[in-house]
Amino acid sequence: MAAENLPAPPADTADPAGRPGRGMPADPAQPRPIRASALARVPWLGPRPARSLLVGGIVVVYAWVASASAPFSTRALISVLIPGAILGAIAYGRPPGRIPPPESIDVAGFSYWMVALALLFEWEASAFRAGATWWHPTLTDLINPLLTPHPVRSAAFVLWLAAGWGLVKR
Amino acid sequence: MTSRVITAVGFGLIIAVLVLLEVLGRRRTNKIPTTGEWLGYVMRPRAGRALILLGWLWLGWHYFAR
Repeated sequence: MAAENLPAPPADTADPAGRPGRGMPADPAQPRPIRASALARVPWLGPRPARSLLVGGIVVVYAWVASASAPFSTRALISVLIPGAILGAIAYGRPPGRIPPPESIDVAGFSYWMVALALLFEWEASAFRAGATWWHPTLTDLINPLLTPHPVRSAAFVLWLAAGWGLVKR
Repeated sequence: MTSRVITAVGFGLIIAVLVLLEVLGRRRTNKIPTTGEWLGYVMRPRAGRALILLGWLWLGWHYFAR
């Protein structure tokens, strides 16, 4: 009789799956519930965090191996062409969910970008025309020494791959 | 100041301007598009998409295969 008059337990003390609520001891006879993966709470990993981590690991290993190739070697060329071919196939064969492009952009705002990029190419061309000497280095001449250490080169390779994926998503 | 330093400073300034444009574009207080927005706009036609992807591939070849 007394048991029938007891109020219903608060909703947070137990759940429909029969798991113990807060403050309730776990039933040792019951199998331990599978906790929601902590990875699922990391927003930048997306809806499938395990797959994202796997792909990220493959990309990092690939970048590490590819960036160890000797310059001007066939291996170096192939290691750049492989991701190019894969991303090209994805872009045109099985394009992922793309970020919708804007219907229009402000012409003046766009022109600022074009002027700055034109300046960059002009500055590069003037250095290249000067013979890309020590006195007038091109951007490549300035960047290449920074990319010499293998970890830095690998990180740059990962960035390049990420940029490619970002372009495919656009 | 040597011409090498002037050349390097020139590149640095232009890259700083590009970064500034991106920052301004993200602030949404003006009409400057972000890199993603104008790239997305340029890549609307198939030809633009192919050109931008080829540019990306060239960049990889230039810095990692040469």
